[in-house]
Amino acid sequence: MGTYAFLAETLNTKYGVDQEAIKPETALRELGLDSLSVVELLFDAEDEFGIEVPEERAVFHTLGEAAAILDELVLAKEP
Amino acid sequence: MRGRRVFVTGLGFVSPHGERPSEVFERLCLGESAIRLVRSGTAELGADVLLARVDFEPGNRIAKQDQVQMARAAQMAVVATRGALEHAGLLVDVDGPEEAAVYMGCGLGGAEILQHSYGRYFLRGNRRFRPTTVPLIMANGPASQVSMRFRLRGPAQTYSIACASSSVAIGEAFRSIRDGYAEVCVAGGAEAMLNDASVAAWQGLGVIAQHRSDTPSTSCRPFDLERTGLVLGEGAATLILESAQRTAERGAKPLAEIVGFGASSDAHHLTDPATDGQERAIRMALLDAGVPASRIGYVNAHATGTKAGDPVEIEAIKRVFGAAAREVAVSSTKSMHGHLVGASGALECAITVLALHERRVPPTANLTAPDPECDLDCVPVVGRDAPDLEFAMSNSFAFGGSNATLVLRRA
Repeated sequence: MGTYAFLAETLNTKYGVDQEAIKPETALRELGLDSLSVVELLFDAEDEFGIEVPEERAVFHTLGEAAAILDELVLAKEP
Repeated sequence: MRGRRVFVTGLGFVSPHGERPSEVFERLCLGESAIRLVRSGTAELGADVLLARVDFEPGNRIAKQDQVQMARAAQMAVVATRGALEHAGLLVDVDGPEEAAVYMGCGLGGAEILQHSYGRYFLRGNRRFRPTTVPLIMANGPASQVSMRFRLRGPAQTYSIACASSSVAIGEAFRSIRDGYAEVCVAGGAEAMLNDASVAAWQGLGVIAQHRSDTPSTSCRPFDLERTGLVLGEGAATLILESAQRTAERGAKPLAEIVGFGASSDAHHLTDPATDGQERAIRMALLDAGVPASRIGYVNAHATGTKAGDPVEIEAIKRVFGAAAREVAVSSTKSMHGHLVGASGALECAITVLALHERRVPPTANLTAPDPECDLDCVPVVGRDAPDLEFAMSNSFAFGGSNATLVLRRA
């Protein structure tokens, strides 16, 4: 599953966010997630893709931006 | 008896036998075991273990964004408390009584979260922990979440006394109302430590039952000659305690009355029980209640099914009851629901409430060849009616030597 698809699904099933509200350009803050939950979402992605998001890379506003950062880290992962 | 009277006005369960009080009690009285042989753990380290699991899904009873901030034990505590508040007629929309205090028993806390977090840190080398790790792991998670979900603004306290945790929690809640510190309390326990590492740790103790290959569900056999140990369970139970005055003022129907609480320490051994300590807790509870042992019609025993432990409790009962020991029904429902550790006291007290209310006592399941050292009436195999049941007792005797006994009266 791609990183964007994973984020979208997790937002819906684990954090109870409405399917309709989830788009690449959606700002995460607008989805009713507090800052704690945004961090938790990143951890969920780390667990799923076996990566670690360094503190300085965890800067994003929209879902699309988050997925792009995760994609880079997945590609950079040592096999 | 001294001080104000304290009633139980509601019960809630998340137990291996279900959630609805009537269903739980019926299944127990029929001698049904919820113990199964299940596969636990990773591919490399997994094993078949005997467990009394709960098929639990909070569903829409807890909002998704709240669920992620609760470990399993806390989720179970919240759902059990919702059931108890509803049962008591005290749930207004999503809120409970604002002034209620919370008294919870919990042995470990967010055990599965601890395991997962350490796995990430040590095995995967992830340096950062989730921000919610600490609040999810803490043993006061269940109490805090119950307080928050139902907006209860009295003090929320957690008692961690191993197998006696929630008995003491209920006892202290009882005292707080009796002595005028509270009018209504949410008292109970929650435990969910069936994650593979916790189970493996318990197996290291050497007190876990060997599974009977033909029928694993009969492997927990308190008081039986063929008993080999205890079986771990998980779940939560909540009782609503209210002063007699508050109960009467709102026209509520009490289920039972708590009349006495006794507690003691063995000061003896880390895991082996001592007859003297148990005897003192029982005597203290009866004295507190102002009730002679001869009036107790039913004892819900602590008895876990270990070789060493069961006879110690029988001896303690004999010492206190004297000749009346022959007359009292003593059963261990752990034979069916397993040992819920931090939640065991609450589950078993709630079962005792139902026994008084229904005038019916659940059995000790699998008791087909009673040990001569356990030669009291241990209600073998099937439950029975107890038409004259007026007073009952619930025992919890913990690792570390802490003993707690509650005495209840039919309301």
